[in-house]
Amino acid sequence: MDHKTRVYENVFEMMPSEENPTPLVRINRLNPNLEFSLYAKLEWMNPFGSVKDRAAWALLRDLEERGELGNGRSLVEPTSGNTGISLAALARARGHRLLAIVPNKVPHEKKVLLKIAGAELEIVSDELCPAPGLGDGSINLAKTYAKAQSHKYVMPNQYENEKNVEAHVKTTGPEIWNQTKGRITHLFTSLGTCGTVTGIARFLRGENSKIKIIAVQPTEGHDVPGLRNVSQLQVSKLFDPSLIDDILEIDFNLAYTRALELCQNEGLLAGPSSGLILEGALQIAARDQRGFGVMIFPDNVFKYTTNMTKHIPALEPQETKATI
Amino acid sequence: MTTNHYEHPEVLVETDWVKQNLGKPGIRLVEVDVDTKAYEAGHIPGAVGFNWQSQLQDQVRRDIVSKQEFERLMSEAGISPSDTVILYGDNNNWFAAYGFWLFKLYGHKDVRLMNGGRVKWLNEADKELTPDKPKITPTKYRVSEPDFSLRALLPEVLKAQSDRRHNLVDVRGPDEYTGKVIAPPGMTETAQRGGHIPGAKSIPWSTAINPDGTFRSADDLRKIYFSNGGVDPGKDTISYCRIGERSSHTWVVLKYLLGLPNVKNYDGSWTEYGSIVGVPIEK
Repeated sequence: MDHKTRVYENVFEMMPSEENPTPLVRINRLNPNLEFSLYAKLEWMNPFGSVKDRAAWALLRDLEERGELGNGRSLVEPTSGNTGISLAALARARGHRLLAIVPNKVPHEKKVLLKIAGAELEIVSDELCPAPGLGDGSINLAKTYAKAQSHKYVMPNQYENEKNVEAHVKTTGPEIWNQTKGRITHLFTSLGTCGTVTGIARFLRGENSKIKIIAVQPTEGHDVPGLRNVSQLQVSKLFDPSLIDDILEIDFNLAYTRALELCQNEGLLAGPSSGLILEGALQIAARDQRGFGVMIFPDNVFKYTTNMTKHIPALEPQETKATI
Repeated sequence: MTTNHYEHPEVLVETDWVKQNLGKPGIRLVEVDVDTKAYEAGHIPGAVGFNWQSQLQDQVRRDIVSKQEFERLMSEAGISPSDTVILYGDNNNWFAAYGFWLFKLYGHKDVRLMNGGRVKWLNEADKELTPDKPKITPTKYRVSEPDFSLRALLPEVLKAQSDRRHNLVDVRGPDEYTGKVIAPPGMTETAQRGGHIPGAKSIPWSTAINPDGTFRSADDLRKIYFSNGGVDPGKDTISYCRIGERSSHTWVVLKYLLGLPNVKNYDGSWTEYGSIVGVPIEK
């Protein structure tokens, strides 16, 4: 393994670490705040295309080390896509299988990608009518498999597993600290399982307790895959509000328009959750005026063409009709 | 059995009671789900699974399953009229409550709901699940005393609307009540118009449950429905929703937990009312 020449013996050696961090790229044309620099951490540069590679790798290795996999026992996990893609690809490359329980709202592209990555899919109608106690259909179905058929399935449970947090304490946090040479003043990230925000915040606060942790979330009723509104966070046991300074609620439509701006002005082909985070970072930069911000850009736009055209109809390619 | 000061506590059983009574003769468990994949993946040992779409409804016209079909369903599930039937399901017992209403309609004497539904059982460490289907010994179930007074059909609903002498309880979400949406996102069963039946009180079904999916106490429910919701316990009552399942949930609350004397479930609900030409609608 040589990170300089980037020659590897297998894909696992490419997983991110302090020695092999994902890139940090400055936002230039979209940030008018001269005294507040903003850097995007491009998590789509991970081997399987998203920030979830980190948690998936940690969850999988933990199960392997504890002897929970093999002898016909597979993984079962509820996922809105990215964890499943990472987990399926990693698992198959290690000789395991994954049954991914996927909410029907997940974009078509992600469902196909999950199958391409080697997951078996079970699609459930989720969030029929959110209510207390209803839980989450995909989480409950995965729990059912793990409980009723424990000889066949084990559930890593990214929503409750401390290994999800640990992955970011060990990799993302130190990477950011090294890459910014300790100059970071603000961290901007979204909320999903909350492993990312809790893990990075825990590490950075250990280095400098003054670093502001800003969580950005879409307004209720959103369709930004992988993200959760605060009202939906009760399913995530990894949510630790004591580590978060501000939670910004941002109109979810801006996730799509800001993502397009990143694509067309910065050369960063960022997905909608990155667009949402950029909007939050710009609001805080305008408020705080001075700082050094790092934004976690979870994945790129390639999986979201359907959602992008839904929110920005002008992206729909129009065929030129010949007049005869 | 549950107490909690309900008028008819005998219609609810707790998960611990179910665990203690698993496999006992005369006690039959039935899981009724919105998503029937859940039953296939794992269910309470000994439970049979009913699909509300294909087994609890007529497959040609829009109606509940006929008396003959209900008898066949019970016989094939090995249920006898004298059995204690415990119903449970996903989505906080929506379709289990619909099943409960249907069992009562066809006169089954002892039917109960498992408080908290399948999610509560799933999340309790000492409760088992199995993917194995139970071995069934078929019976010859006969319906003896159906009680169709538990069901409101459209003419009665229209009369109740114009007389204004009934409690009409709309249990859908606030956006469905105001007509902002006709159905929750992604739902295929819909209507031609949005809004509600004039005079109906908006008391969403979910106000009746605790965060763990169990029913609230009788005191809480009295406050929610009588003091705050405006339901007059002295009047006859009709509950409705979109397709009749959430309203079954509220029907159980009003008729059994609060003990109102005459409560009917309008299973035609908004998908029927909101599509009828010329009926009054409020937004």
